[in-house]
Amino acid sequence: MEMEKITILALLGLIIATGVTFGLYQINFQGFGHLTNYSKTPAYSLAGTRLYENGTLFLQIARTAGPDTYGGFIVLVQVLYPNGTVVYQWNASQLAHIPKSHIHNEFSLHPVTTTPFALEVPLGQNATVILQIPFHLKPGYYIVRVYDVDGSYQAYGVKFQVEVYVS
Amino acid sequence: MGQVIVESTQKYLPILRVTLGFMFFSAFIRRAINVPAKLNPSSSAYVGGKLITFLPHAWAPIKGTLVYVLQNPSLLYEFIILFTALEAIFGLFMILGFLTRLSGFVIAILAWGIGAAAGWLGSTCVDEWQIAAVEGAAAFMFMFTGSRWLSIDQILAKKYPKGVKLGKLYIPLW
Repeated sequence: MEMEKITILALLGLIIATGVTFGLYQINFQGFGHLTNYSKTPAYSLAGTRLYENGTLFLQIARTAGPDTYGGFIVLVQVLYPNGTVVYQWNASQLAHIPKSHIHNEFSLHPVTTTPFALEVPLGQNATVILQIPFHLKPGYYIVRVYDVDGSYQAYGVKFQVEVYVS
Repeated sequence: MGQVIVESTQKYLPILRVTLGFMFFSAFIRRAINVPAKLNPSSSAYVGGKLITFLPHAWAPIKGTLVYVLQNPSLLYEFIILFTALEAIFGLFMILGFLTRLSGFVIAILAWGIGAAAGWLGSTCVDEWQIAAVEGAAAFMFMFTGSRWLSIDQILAKKYPKGVKLGKLYIPLW
């Protein structure tokens, strides 16, 4: 191969490899902007959660960030009025006693399980957890929120809560 | 045929080539020999579960594929076996310097593919990105350089310097 062709090929290779390296860095970590490492702190998404007039809560919980080898641990689930007043809540020991039949995992591996001190949600798992409020609810908007064992209900600027409507 | 001259840069390539190959070949050793439970779907060590942890921030087309595979356990097992086999074969080829250009191509795809799936993980540092980026770039480089010293390819190249002939085309696999 003549020299000029080799030069073009070498520069092309350099551009591709560097492009992939920088691209992965920016898209995975916003490395050239506001650096974010999603493996540091657990985060949860409650998208798809449903609440019914009879007090039944279908808590749809997915863990979207945090360490891949451990946790995370939910120690408090709250149903709130939009003004922040608690309607009902389940503490750690109540969550620890959720029957297995009330937890439905999307994936059979790494399931959401109860531990003696919390509800454990492995990274990437997405489960429906059925909980029951012992009274009926008035129609309207409610907020469902979960707390991680570190005491927080937000990470990376996103709250672990969702607004639901009871009709 | 006259004497084949090995460029001096070629003599330094095995320094990287063997380590790069072992990064992939050792994945096979870990799963097949060190901890066979990693390939046992009913074990808690099963590597299939690891794919779930990739999901939250995996790139769009790969995420959909992962979800589909994870929801079909038999497909998941076949996927794991295929992936492990590719790592074993092309990792070993890279170590031996056999079909180095082809191995570089396959390993670059594996490394960068993992980068798009798990590249966002890294509880110590930005680990998976570092692994994917360095292994991918290194493998990609071997696609262009091949390896003509301390390699099986040096023997092949002596006999067939242009590569495999396919019709009128020469495919440079080494």
